[in-house]
Amino acid sequence: MAEKNLRIGFVGVGDRGSFHLDSALGIEGVDVPALCDIDNSYLYRAKRWVEDSGRPTPALYGKTETDFVRMCEQEEMDCVICATPWQWHTPCCLAAMKNGSHAVSEVPIVLTVEEGWELVETWKSTGKWATMGLEGFRNLPLLQMIQNGLFGEVTHAEGGYVHDLRLVKFDPEREPWRLQPSIERNGNLYPDHPMSNIFPHMDINHGDRIDYLVSMSSSAQTLNDFAALHYGKDHPHATMEMAQGDYNSSLIKTVKGKFFTLNFDTNTPHPRNFYRLGGTKGAYFGMRYSYSDRDLVYLDGNEQKAGDFMPEYQHPILSEYNPPPRREALRGHGSRSRRTPITWHRLVQALRNDQLPDWDVYDSITSSVISPISEKSIAQGSSPIEFPDFTRGEWESRPPLKLIPS
Amino acid sequence: MKNHPNRRDFLKYSAAGGVAVSALGRQGTAQSASSDRPLRLGFVGVGDRGSYHLDIALGIEGIEVPALCDINDKYLYRAKSWVEELGHPSPALYGKTETDFERMCETEDLDCVICCTSWEWHAPCCLSAMRNDKHAVSEVPIILTLDEAWEIVETYEKTGKWATLALEGMGDLSLLNLVKQGVLGNVIHAEGGYIHDLRLVKFDPEREPWRLQHSVDRNGNLYPDHPMRYMIFHMDINRGDRIDYMVSMSSSAQTLNEYASHYYGKEHPYAKMAMAQGDYNASLIRTVNGKMITLNFDTNTPHPRGTHRIQGSKGVYFRARGAGGPYIYLDGISPESHQWEEAAPYLEQYTPDLVKNYDPPPRRAVRGHGGGDTETPLRWHRLVEALRNNRMPDWDVYDSVTSSAVSPISEASVAGGSKPIEFPDFTRGKWKTAKPIEIT
Repeated sequence: MAEKNLRIGFVGVGDRGSFHLDSALGIEGVDVPALCDIDNSYLYRAKRWVEDSGRPTPALYGKTETDFVRMCEQEEMDCVICATPWQWHTPCCLAAMKNGSHAVSEVPIVLTVEEGWELVETWKSTGKWATMGLEGFRNLPLLQMIQNGLFGEVTHAEGGYVHDLRLVKFDPEREPWRLQPSIERNGNLYPDHPMSNIFPHMDINHGDRIDYLVSMSSSAQTLNDFAALHYGKDHPHATMEMAQGDYNSSLIKTVKGKFFTLNFDTNTPHPRNFYRLGGTKGAYFGMRYSYSDRDLVYLDGNEQKAGDFMPEYQHPILSEYNPPPRREALRGHGSRSRRTPITWHRLVQALRNDQLPDWDVYDSITSSVISPISEKSIAQGSSPIEFPDFTRGEWESRPPLKLIPS
Repeated sequence: MKNHPNRRDFLKYSAAGGVAVSALGRQGTAQSASSDRPLRLGFVGVGDRGSYHLDIALGIEGIEVPALCDINDKYLYRAKSWVEELGHPSPALYGKTETDFERMCETEDLDCVICCTSWEWHAPCCLSAMRNDKHAVSEVPIILTLDEAWEIVETYEKTGKWATLALEGMGDLSLLNLVKQGVLGNVIHAEGGYIHDLRLVKFDPEREPWRLQHSVDRNGNLYPDHPMRYMIFHMDINRGDRIDYMVSMSSSAQTLNEYASHYYGKEHPYAKMAMAQGDYNASLIRTVNGKMITLNFDTNTPHPRGTHRIQGSKGVYFRARGAGGPYIYLDGISPESHQWEEAAPYLEQYTPDLVKNYDPPPRRAVRGHGGGDTETPLRWHRLVEALRNNRMPDWDVYDSVTSSAVSPISEASVAGGSKPIEFPDFTRGKWKTAKPIEIT
């Protein structure tokens, strides 16, 4: 099994898709037999990158928005990487699974609860999975501290996606689909990055599960202000009604009585958001949701820097990860690193060993459906909305996420 | 600008009065005649916090303390000795029963009653004062139920005597001024809370016998007023905007049992007693104009104090205890895109005259809970000024009941599985025309 090359197809090779493609091209034993994009400039750039790496010329798809279906039907692939605009994530995953490939989706993997159930059912019937296998985990040292009982039992966590994207929303050349959700939707539209901390930190779907959620949004004003400032008061975007409130927050409770506060704001000027977690024996605070040595660890009366707990609490999957350096820094939207991202390393290992990725099907769907459920809560004046149990009871016996070096 | 060192000038500045906070700094306004008569303050509850307020009052010239009330003789006689030490006439003493403050309000001639009892007596004490022709200042919270809130509003509107959280202050006035001057643009969202590990206090019946019971009986945000001193004024609550509805969520309750078990043993009743109050609580509060507040509450777990964040349309302010700062980021002004800078220089720039010009005479360090200062706190000065000039304190009646009403409404939301609960409009529409607090 280990000798056979992995065959990975890419759907969507723009900003983020090209980053993933470039990551894959730097890994030995990975073939890229097919590419799909409706934008020819992206498609042919990607084709050239594959050829430049010394691999055979890939088959090209993208004649229509659903040409990925034809690609999944015709190509023999182990896995499809889906980095399209949001609305094609689930359809792309389903096309892959139904045609014998696993699928990895960029965030969010689903936009509706129905799509969530369809992915679960398709996985159960085909044995092919679809997950956010490349999402990774933001604060692994903190996970290590939690799993070693440093904070006792976790009570509450707060984090969010708070990232000023006003510029990106008004850049149709780069991401023509990006503004539209702010016009039509109102909720937490981007839960998955902070959930990469919260679900493992709180054992969501692994001994606990989300019970219900309430969500609230402020009014919407800053996108109009921004458009008026940059394009003039008469520009349609300066007066167009925007559904998405500038600031959104959701309170999310688990059946075991933990809860977390999940914030979302891509409309106002700010640096990135903090991350905070409290337990029965202590608390953790970081100015960002990634780990920093300057983060604070508070253990009953005693405050220290997180760095004081290193390297003892460095997560083994990080301390034991030592990939060969790459020839060039990674291209596309992502880190400019000369190392293969550990998320890619772990995905490739999972595919080679025929295992589910660290983010499994349940975790991926649970994270992304926070969006439609938050939208429903807001549409009902911040009413509490029950959360579906995609695991159908399996959460009770699933052990906490254990990440073993691979 | 420390230009009025003696008390006479100080009082002249104080007497400038007016609705706007700024008025303190202006000169040349006639001093009202009433300021020559000593203010007569009665104190109900002179334990930890009440003795602090008493000691402050005793350090202000022109204040008399004709009456004291406490059911605990130890506190009552300590307070009596503090009054006598300063050469004041011996105060009348009350406290034979828990409701003896009523007899005090009926018997004594007082301008204002300062109420620092255990929580359940705050509203009854205020009502008793108002009905007997006295203003009242309550420690937080001023009410525990919506019925009490409405009763305070109606009694105020009927008697003309007010009851408020006047001694709560408005937090950092430089920050208030910075916000009111629009440095952050329109305020969109603010987050704050009362995050203070009080496990030790809850299990100290000698000191505060009433404290634990709230955690046993109730579940919600039981202490909203400290963070609300920012929210009310920063967000123009009751002054052009008002709270529309809120939701609240609590985690499960376990740390108090664990704490009791650890310190008193597994067999102690507190180690097993069912506690209603979830260890962590958060509420989301929305105003009719679409602003939002996240209000946190946790007095049960080990942690440093909480965070304070104000997001506006042009920038953001952030403070996290222990993490440096406070920080600020201003769109197009801060030197690095999307990077924090220190807020201190901005706060200094926006320090209002009210603070710059406040230069009270030095005094012996204040005793009691909150003490240690060697000058009279500005909020006490502002209260005295309001009483002398017969005007409403900065926290008015509506603000005070609105702030404290967050507790019972959060409890209703938690009890209803975090359902949204409409917030009463205690102003009955007056919020639409009321003007925001002004600082300059």
